[in-house]
Amino acid sequence: MVFASPMKKALVYDQQSCQLRVEGLPDLSAGQGGEELGILTGWTLRWAGRPELEGQRSHLEALITAVQPYARHLVSGLRRGFGEESGPIWIGPSPAGPGHTLHLVSGQTGNPSLELELDDAELADLVRVLDQLLLDTRIKLPLAVPSPRPLRAGELIRRIPIQRRLAAPVGGVAALALATALAVLLPPPSRQPSRPPAAAVATPSAPPIQGQP
Amino acid sequence: MLLCLEALDLNGGEALVWLSESLGFGSRFPNRVELWKRRCHNPMRRACRRGDLEIDDAEALMRILCGMADRLYPMVRSLLSASEPAELTAQRWSLFEGRFTELLNERMNPRRSSVQKLLDPVEGAGERRYLVQSLALVAGVGGYERLRASLLDAAS
Repeated sequence: MVFASPMKKALVYDQQSCQLRVEGLPDLSAGQGGEELGILTGWTLRWAGRPELEGQRSHLEALITAVQPYARHLVSGLRRGFGEESGPIWIGPSPAGPGHTLHLVSGQTGNPSLELELDDAELADLVRVLDQLLLDTRIKLPLAVPSPRPLRAGELIRRIPIQRRLAAPVGGVAALALATALAVLLPPPSRQPSRPPAAAVATPSAPPIQGQP
Repeated sequence: MLLCLEALDLNGGEALVWLSESLGFGSRFPNRVELWKRRCHNPMRRACRRGDLEIDDAEALMRILCGMADRLYPMVRSLLSASEPAELTAQRWSLFEGRFTELLNERMNPRRSSVQKLLDPVEGAGERRYLVQSLALVAGVGGYERLRASLLDAAS
């Protein structure tokens, strides 16, 4: 039997390819009004032509903490994965192409993990629905979401492919090794028999050698 | 990125002024010239201004960019979507790249290597796509913090 609670609220955030629906109740003990949502009872993410995702608050937090930093790093031109590969949600660049892979591990035993391939437009839609949720003043959930921060130089260097990063030092070491090998291959200079001093054959018109001060 | 938006919207210059007014920056950028002066602080421009951009001006420009990207999001999205017919997507990209190249040639310094790279039909394709993707990800109010953080990156 399902009891419909008059207090239960559902908020829906739409984009072209996905729709996020969060359900919950206002936290009356915290003095929240009827329009606000302070206790999350569940959420669903519907994709066009894809399986529907649903979960609890921890899953929503995991989705936000994986997707938002991933999008933030993409704006800086850095493509790297976020989330835990063994955990509920991981997102990263697709190994098959220019898209993005969203890897989901079900909390229910027996359910296989799910991999969704998203194109750039679908990723942008997902980021926008999460933005809408985070900016909605009716949502009073204390979601632990890191705010975007500038990247350090050490992080930004990952934008350059490792082959290009290693090209200069490897080239330098190779050049040094080659020069050393050539130097080793050169025959050592043979000892010349001692000659009479050059002064004996010097011309008289040569200028005298000046001493150093 | 502002130039990308202008390439997407034929009336982009006017739309930027209109948007700045609707976002409450009318006193800061009362006309196109004032907006253009602030944009000229970009060192990649053909005629750039010396000196630093004031932080309030920079933030206002970022707000305008995010607002404009939000307004043009359907167009940006259609360029990035893999589910659209390939021929249609190719036509859209061709149109966008044609306009973008014209604007780059008109306003940017062609001696800059980054401008040359963007103008390169083959090597610049990835860069142009990256710009459009960034526009999609910074669109709207939520994108403002991402854009701001990326502009404060160590190498920027």
